[in-house]
Amino acid sequence: MTTFHPKFSPSRRTLLKGTGAMFAGLTLLPRFSLAAEEKKLNFYNWDTYIGETTLADFTKATGIEAKLDLFADNDELFAKLKGGNPGYDVIVPTNDMLERMIKANMVIPLDHSKIPNMANIDKPFQDATFDPGRKHSIPYMWGTLGVGYRKSKVEGGLVDSWKIVLDSDTHAGRISLLGDAQNVIGVALKYLGHSFNSVEAAELKKAEDLLIAQKKHVKVFADDNGQDLLASGEVDVCQEWNGDIIQVMAEDEGIAYAVPTEGSLVWQDTMAIPTGAPHPENAHAFLNFVLDAEAGMHIADTIKYATANAAAKAVMDKSYTENPSIFPPAEIVAKCEPGLYLGEEATKVRDEIWTRIQAA
Amino acid sequence: MPSPFLLASIQGSQEQGESGRVLDNWKDNKNVFWTLAGPGTFWLLVFFILPLGFLFVMSFSDKAVIDGEISITEYDYLTGISNYIRSVDALYLTIIWKSIWVSALATVLCLLTAYPIAFGICFASERWKPLLLLLVVLPFWINLLIRTYALIAVFRSQGYVNLALGTVGLGPFDMLYNNFAVIFGLVYVYMPFMVLPLYATIERLDKSFLEASLDLGASQFTTFLKVTVPLTMPGIITGVILVFIPCLGSFLTPDLLGGANAIMIGNVIERQFKAANDWPFGAALSFMLMYATFAALMLRAFLAKRSAGVDV
Amino acid sequence: MADQLKPGSGPLDYGNRLWLKILFGVIFFMLYVPIITLVAFSFNTDRRGIVWRGFTFDNYVKAWNNSALIEAMVNSLMIAFITTIIATVLGAMVALMLWRFRFPFKGAYEAFMGLPIVIPEICMGVALLLFFNETGMMGAIVALPWPLNLSNIIIAHVAFCFPFVAIVVRSRLVGFNRQLEEASKDLGASEWQTFWKVIVPFMMPGLVAGALLAFTLSLDDFVITFFTSGPETVTFPVKVYSLVRRGVSPEINAASTVLIVITVVATVLAMKLQAPQKSGKG
Repeated sequence: MTTFHPKFSPSRRTLLKGTGAMFAGLTLLPRFSLAAEEKKLNFYNWDTYIGETTLADFTKATGIEAKLDLFADNDELFAKLKGGNPGYDVIVPTNDMLERMIKANMVIPLDHSKIPNMANIDKPFQDATFDPGRKHSIPYMWGTLGVGYRKSKVEGGLVDSWKIVLDSDTHAGRISLLGDAQNVIGVALKYLGHSFNSVEAAELKKAEDLLIAQKKHVKVFADDNGQDLLASGEVDVCQEWNGDIIQVMAEDEGIAYAVPTEGSLVWQDTMAIPTGAPHPENAHAFLNFVLDAEAGMHIADTIKYATANAAAKAVMDKSYTENPSIFPPAEIVAKCEPGLYLGEEATKVRDEIWTRIQAA
Repeated sequence: MPSPFLLASIQGSQEQGESGRVLDNWKDNKNVFWTLAGPGTFWLLVFFILPLGFLFVMSFSDKAVIDGEISITEYDYLTGISNYIRSVDALYLTIIWKSIWVSALATVLCLLTAYPIAFGICFASERWKPLLLLLVVLPFWINLLIRTYALIAVFRSQGYVNLALGTVGLGPFDMLYNNFAVIFGLVYVYMPFMVLPLYATIERLDKSFLEASLDLGASQFTTFLKVTVPLTMPGIITGVILVFIPCLGSFLTPDLLGGANAIMIGNVIERQFKAANDWPFGAALSFMLMYATFAALMLRAFLAKRSAGVDV
Repeated sequence: MADQLKPGSGPLDYGNRLWLKILFGVIFFMLYVPIITLVAFSFNTDRRGIVWRGFTFDNYVKAWNNSALIEAMVNSLMIAFITTIIATVLGAMVALMLWRFRFPFKGAYEAFMGLPIVIPEICMGVALLLFFNETGMMGAIVALPWPLNLSNIIIAHVAFCFPFVAIVVRSRLVGFNRQLEEASKDLGASEWQTFWKVIVPFMMPGLVAGALLAFTLSLDDFVITFFTSGPETVTFPVKVYSLVRRGVSPEINAASTVLIVITVVATVLAMKLQAPQKSGKG
């Protein structure tokens, strides 16, 4: 059941397997011996990232009991599943992480005949560069990375460039950037006119220099709480995900969100079935359920991210479908790039750049 | 004496006490010896040393290259010490050095705050002692993350401290997102690890030495420096180690309270196991940190042995 | 000790010194302001907990009705409870062995016992993840019914908790007068009777201390739990970590307050139980 293949010396390996078999024997697990799948589903998701009643509705519709477990970011999800799947049936990776997991055979191909509701997927999402033919995933939500800001604190009350957070001292000490290598270096590249996914050493060097120079004006590299810093008045401008800013905009009218004109990252969260899932049939049923019009509507209504489910979007009201923070104008989306999985070497290079920036 | 709970008695057996008693030879009573030693040793070997062995092997390994591409999940085992060589790069040494001084400063501050607390508790009335001890340990029982977020709520620019200062016309001060905040956070988080071993030693301190010193005309201050501190040195050393080691490996506090340059080695290690997906390098950095810890512990054993002569 | 002196008179009566009292006040204030805030905000009506909007018990009701949160708390308490029992027994046995016997390489053995205390948590978490996956224990255990599916978390917790218990119990044993043991044997008690009637009562404060420590360490652990948990075994810290990144909700404050109250009540009870065991030396 493990996808992890260490090359320890055979004797040791046998010993380990022996120990494992001993424990496994003790437990007499019924899991693989059942002919029909038991009515269970283990869903591994971000917190507060599903409709309030979705799991209960699913149980009502199918009789399958759905259990939710939580991870806080893609890296946690990956680290947890890397050594083998402890029993999850459906996971929610972002597009670049999904790409990495496909490459590592950590997700299984979907049986499209079991997901008739795939017809509900919005046109632009029916195919994807990171998962050609949607062989392994269905789209869930999508959004952008941009700048959250306090209108009263920026000139003209509008932000249209990454300059304000990446290359300016007008808000010195009142800026927060995200806390991970990929997205901070990515937008720096974008600001400099390069690709978000560049692997060119010269371009990366320029981005690194830009960020090191800007660092003295940056208050904090915030993991995922830029919106809290903005809402509590700790910073005036922050690099954040649109959904997070929308949450605080609902409570504080002074806050706004913009995708800079240089372009940015457009992300897409997907649902997939990890290799070794104990209940693949139920998992397919769940993916199909999520793509249903009504279920999709409940989800979108709770979490307020842009749904990729056209049938659900059609029944949502205008305050959602016409909100430019949720669904940015097409010309802005056109300037954004999806994040790509760049390979292990590029990941390491970016990690070292990130360490240098933080230590500078 | 109300028997101290938690770490209160953590300090002790190693430095002193046993010399006066003849221990049984294990061969004299093998059944009892193995009954007592067996389960714990087995547990630690199978569920701790063996897993750690995987990681140790990992630290000498590299990601496998399959069809010219670096693999995401596969490894070539025991390929050499490249990860250790990488870990002594100036970049990482700088961060390790910074972690050391941040931890050292936090430890010293912790000691300076904890000593009077422990001292005060020991000289408090019998009725108050258990309550005071409980009060010191209580914050320790709240989830670390929640505790840290509570600190943020209090100290942010529109937090309560600044609100209070604002009413008397001061501030607001930026108290968060800098190295000061990290050090303060570490002191706050690890305080009980310092107070309890100190309490255990001061409690055992023979007060007649202090009386003698005072009777002989030494001032309170001189008595403290020349008598109390040397006599409680084992507790000080234990406390320093119990605070310094976890500080060195901490990543949550610098992550949440630190500013743009708050990175510590714990953050780098954590990232290797997560975002960077470089487990071999993460393992090598962890073992480097462990070697450093062992060096510190050996130093402690050495110091303890040297001071054993003067000890009570 | 202090109470042999008349209050406020002796040079050693530091407990009544004003400066020490002030210092105490300041330090305890610093320690408690964040926690009082936390408790206070569990009664706040504001969702984000940034400003005070009004008093309510809703957060407690919400926390109570949040079955995922309750389940996480029950899991955490269950894990901590079982871990405490196993860790205390194992730790006490090792402590007794170290106290009673001399054997070759004893120093090395003690260093080995101290390893779990000095290792970075994430390192241990990943090591255990590798181990459980490689041996197939992960898949086997998480498929078991509750509470057996918590086994791998408990195994991991015991591994890092019991050495702490061993250290605490052992330093308690240092004060033991072995003549008591000999007297007991002279009076005809067997090895087992002596152990049960003489040594165990003497160890009791150390056992309680060690048990409380193990309980605390287990209850608060996130990193190791995260790497060893399965799909149906969310614990309170894991829940908190995933929730809090998206903003602290007053519900979590309410749940934490409940947990504080539970732990304080448990401790006070434990201290009460411990009180009759007071013997001459600590």
